Amino acid sequence: MHVVVRCQEVARRAGRALLALSLCGLAATAAHAAAAPAGASAVLECMRANVPKTLTVRDIQLSASDRKGSTRTLQGRIYASREDDKLRAMIRIAAPADLAGAAYLLRERESGDEMYVYMPALQKVRRISGAAIDGSLWGTDLSYADVKQLTNAFSGAQPKLDRDETVAGRAMHVLSVAPTVAAARFDRVRAWVDARTCMALRVDFEQAGVAQKRLTIEPGDLQQSGSYWYATQILVSDLKQGSKTTVKVTGITPDKELADRLFGPATFYLGN
Amino acid sequence: MQRLVLRIATRPLLVIMLCLLISAAALLAVFDPLGVRLRTEIDPSIERLLPSQDSSRALYERVREQFGAGDAVIVAVQLDDLFTPAGMARVEQLQARYAALPGVSAVLSLATAPALYTSEDDLDLSTFTQQARAHPERIAGFRQRIADNPLYRNTLVSADGRKAAFAILADGVSERQFLHDDYPALIRAATRAVAGDAPVAITGTQVGRAATARALIDSLKFTVPAVFAIILVLLLLAFRSWRATLAAAATVGLALLWTLASAVLLDMPFNLVTAIVPALVVTLGLSYTIYLLSAFHDALTRPWLENDRTARTRWVLNRAGLGLLLSAATTSASFLSLLTNDLPAIRHFAVLASLGSVYATLLSLSFLPSLLALTGCARRRQVPPSQGMLAALAVRLAAFDQKYRRWIIFGALVLIPLDALFALRIHAGAEFSKSFPASSEVRRDYEAINRDFDGANLLSIYIDTHVNDALTDPATVGQLDALQEWLRAQPEVGAVVSYVDHLKLLNRGFGGDDGAPLHIPESAAAIKQLLVFGGGDAIRRVVDPRFRSALIQLRIKVDGSRQVDALVQRIDHRLAAMPPPLNGVVTGSPLLATRTVQEIAAGQFLSIAIATLAIWALLSFMFTSIRAGLLALLPTVVPVAIYFGTLGLLGIDLSPTTCLIACIVIGIAVDDTIQFLARFNADARAGAAEAPAVTSALSAVLRPVTLSTVALCSGFLVFAGSALETQVQFGLLSAFTLFLAWIMNITLTPALGSKLRIVTMWDILRLDLGESPQYTIPLLSGLSLRQARVFALLSSLEKHPAGTRLIREGDLARDIYVVVDGQLEVWVERHGEHKRLSTLTRGAVIGEAGYFGQRRTANVDTLSAVRVLRFDSQDLERLRLRYPRIAALVLRNLNRIQAERLARATAMLQ
Repeated sequence: MHVVVRCQEVARRAGRALLALSLCGLAATAAHAAAAPAGASAVLECMRANVPKTLTVRDIQLSASDRKGSTRTLQGRIYASREDDKLRAMIRIAAPADLAGAAYLLRERESGDEMYVYMPALQKVRRISGAAIDGSLWGTDLSYADVKQLTNAFSGAQPKLDRDETVAGRAMHVLSVAPTVAAARFDRVRAWVDARTCMALRVDFEQAGVAQKRLTIEPGDLQQSGSYWYATQILVSDLKQGSKTTVKVTGITPDKELADRLFGPATFYLGN
Repeated sequence: MQRLVLRIATRPLLVIMLCLLISAAALLAVFDPLGVRLRTEIDPSIERLLPSQDSSRALYERVREQFGAGDAVIVAVQLDDLFTPAGMARVEQLQARYAALPGVSAVLSLATAPALYTSEDDLDLSTFTQQARAHPERIAGFRQRIADNPLYRNTLVSADGRKAAFAILADGVSERQFLHDDYPALIRAATRAVAGDAPVAITGTQVGRAATARALIDSLKFTVPAVFAIILVLLLLAFRSWRATLAAAATVGLALLWTLASAVLLDMPFNLVTAIVPALVVTLGLSYTIYLLSAFHDALTRPWLENDRTARTRWVLNRAGLGLLLSAATTSASFLSLLTNDLPAIRHFAVLASLGSVYATLLSLSFLPSLLALTGCARRRQVPPSQGMLAALAVRLAAFDQKYRRWIIFGALVLIPLDALFALRIHAGAEFSKSFPASSEVRRDYEAINRDFDGANLLSIYIDTHVNDALTDPATVGQLDALQEWLRAQPEVGAVVSYVDHLKLLNRGFGGDDGAPLHIPESAAAIKQLLVFGGGDAIRRVVDPRFRSALIQLRIKVDGSRQVDALVQRIDHRLAAMPPPLNGVVTGSPLLATRTVQEIAAGQFLSIAIATLAIWALLSFMFTSIRAGLLALLPTVVPVAIYFGTLGLLGIDLSPTTCLIACIVIGIAVDDTIQFLARFNADARAGAAEAPAVTSALSAVLRPVTLSTVALCSGFLVFAGSALETQVQFGLLSAFTLFLAWIMNITLTPALGSKLRIVTMWDILRLDLGESPQYTIPLLSGLSLRQARVFALLSSLEKHPAGTRLIREGDLARDIYVVVDGQLEVWVERHGEHKRLSTLTRGAVIGEAGYFGQRRTANVDTLSAVRVLRFDSQDLERLRLRYPRIAALVLRNLNRIQAERLARATAMLQ
């Protein structure tokens, strides 16, 4: 029997995952991180409070490699803002040329998430609903569910602060939490949070006590933009399949006013 | 050799202790006392029978590595209310239950498959079960929606709409764990918890492997004790001695233990082929112990051996040693001929089976006689049962064989080409699902899913273009689409899916018209955008990130290697016709299994040829004649020919197990031929007549040969109780062929042997003609020592005590005598007076006048104990035919002796 039962997981969750990653994983303020937090909730608070109101990622590059090293690279720009504590985010692909112009919009609503995708070759905008959350994001090793762990894992559930560790000479708080996202593939997420920056430098997605996927940020890849920390490079490895995805960020612009047209279903894909 | 025999005979306790010491080490190798488990490995995979460097297997591994593991456990659950809200809810519950099983990474079903619902600008990608919950009114259309979708058709739901399918990816579960935890049972329990007694069928590669492994384990658990039980019963019936029976059983047990230890130490797992080894070793060991016990029993009838344990053991070893060593040599040579096969499993079988045969022989010649000597079996002297009946039968058989000698030989010679003709119909093949009985759950489930879901076996076509983004070119995609349509038209193919189908569905979904026909986008950019932004995990499993290679997955309805091969050949032909840059090659488990069977068949006849040649060489060496070796081989070749003829006649395929039979039978059957010929040769030489020797030899060997055949056939028939049809077939056919070999050995072998005077290498080595006979006996001048012994063995070496009249004056006789040692007097009686003519010593030739037709001209009496070689014109003629070089030298010497004698006589007259 074919295993290809599940097929279309469209760009909705892809863009949403990336945006969430950008907002939560990449940026955190140093101001809150300066004082070492005491408990799990303090660590979470330090991480959550660091998300800027608006964010522009100038250039993001996603390189997905399968276990044989075959790699596909996408480049684009991300715009995100929070309105009434609801996320609005858009990503527009710039390269390669045959994918340039594709855009993805996510809008959180009380009634549920709204997702739109635009493909220039079809010249159509589609509103997507009902996609699974644990599938691959644009053929990368990221999934919306994974990033949702990063974004929300540390809220809603009962996080547990394990014994602090020192990794590569840096003090780390070790958080572990059971996922709150329904149908998630992993039964535990463990994060090694840098005590100085409140950035999660390593996140293990575990099943039955075995890490299946790992997100890693090298301390040398941490940079500061204003009062915010962000990582210039993130490596996501599927430890089981042997594939990996590298996310590179050239720079961010926090707290800058963004035009509404970037987040409108009829206009988000227009312009540069 | 005699020194070794003496050591064994004089130190039985030491021999036993040594064997037990080795056995203790072997036990530690086989059994892990800390883990309380056997260290032997079971490998049920048929594709791993192929060598790791095999190109088909390498491609299979490469594709698996690139696109991930594709072997899923397929579960089909009959839900009569499937297309109702309650039915859909049950699917969700089952989905959750299966996903919760340990090691399960994903479950694909109606609960995970997006139903792709388009309305205006919205694309609903929620699953069937989600839509059933949110929009119950859509359930009615599900059936049609599934039928219209090439990805789901006959995949998520059976054609009759009553069975829901679940593909469980348990790639986190090792084969060992899958077997140990009995995953099919766990799945059934999970199903029962949700769907009660709803019928459920489970199949898939892992299920098949687990069932095969279980069947192998069950087979080992059954066959080995069963053969042991047969040993005990048979030995007890044959020898009526508990001690002898237990001693033989212990011998065989140790041989098995040593073989298992060798398997562990050599890292050779027990698979579909090597699983036969344990029972085979026990069976062979049994036949060897029977020969040894027969000799032992024979020794007990010799009064002079009754109270001398050492002498008795020596006598037994000398009696049975040659036959057993030769048996081990021929059997091992036959098994080792399988080393030419490319399949590691067959080579492992060859090594383990030959090692087992050697161990059984060595133990039968050391441990068993020592144990018999120490346990006091000698005190229980009983007449072997059935001996009288078999002796009477032997007399009749001998008469029959000699009376119909020509017909028997003619019949055998006709059978060979006739069976070869039938053998031309043989095909290499295996029906993998039919390895299990029709009533077995694993086969029933496989057949049900194969029927209800239009195929249960997966093949893949690996497409490679070597060009980035080539697979987003609409023309290339069109070519692949056409290929898929062609594939769907093949009768063996149930379903075909590739990224092209995903692409067409995405295109329709994004196009916004649910009812629009499926078609390929017209631009490469559209194709790529749809695949990148819409593809997800499913796309990752069928096309690489750079869109240069892809996988087309086929679900096929056949699993027989011949049918798979026929399909693959057609596909290969079709793939070769694809335009560049498209290149395609077929891969998958069924194809590897097919290649395995083909490899076996390819090596089969080479192995048989090597086994036959090796045994012929051994026989020629042992019988010191190529012709004698060839004739001795004939009774073995005929049953093997009949075996292959039977395969062709009955349409039985040459499978991984049936291909072993020929080599096994060649190695075993020739032993009985050797036993008869060696005995016949000794008797014919002793009695100087072939006809009585046929009877006496047959009488002597019929019982052990019959007993060993009964033992071997019983041992092989035990396989008929195996859960695997391949092993059942192996057991029945092996027993049948060995029975044929027995028939040949009691008819054809005596018929051939009745006119064959052979000289065994053992005779040559043992024959004592005194120091340098070629220099000290003029008749043997110019011959090598071996040639001198060959001549002596084709003559008759006689011993006479002092005072024996060897030749009587006036008698008409044609024998010539050569004095080997001792002293003789030549005399005549003239006028009542004893007149000594001469005294003869070593090297003298006597009686040559008779050879030339004259009456004896003088008397010859022995003055001391003498040994003389006696031969006549028939012996010389036989020598001329069989050993012309030796005959030429002997006749030259005889001529020279005559000439010298004539010259002396002439000189005396002058």
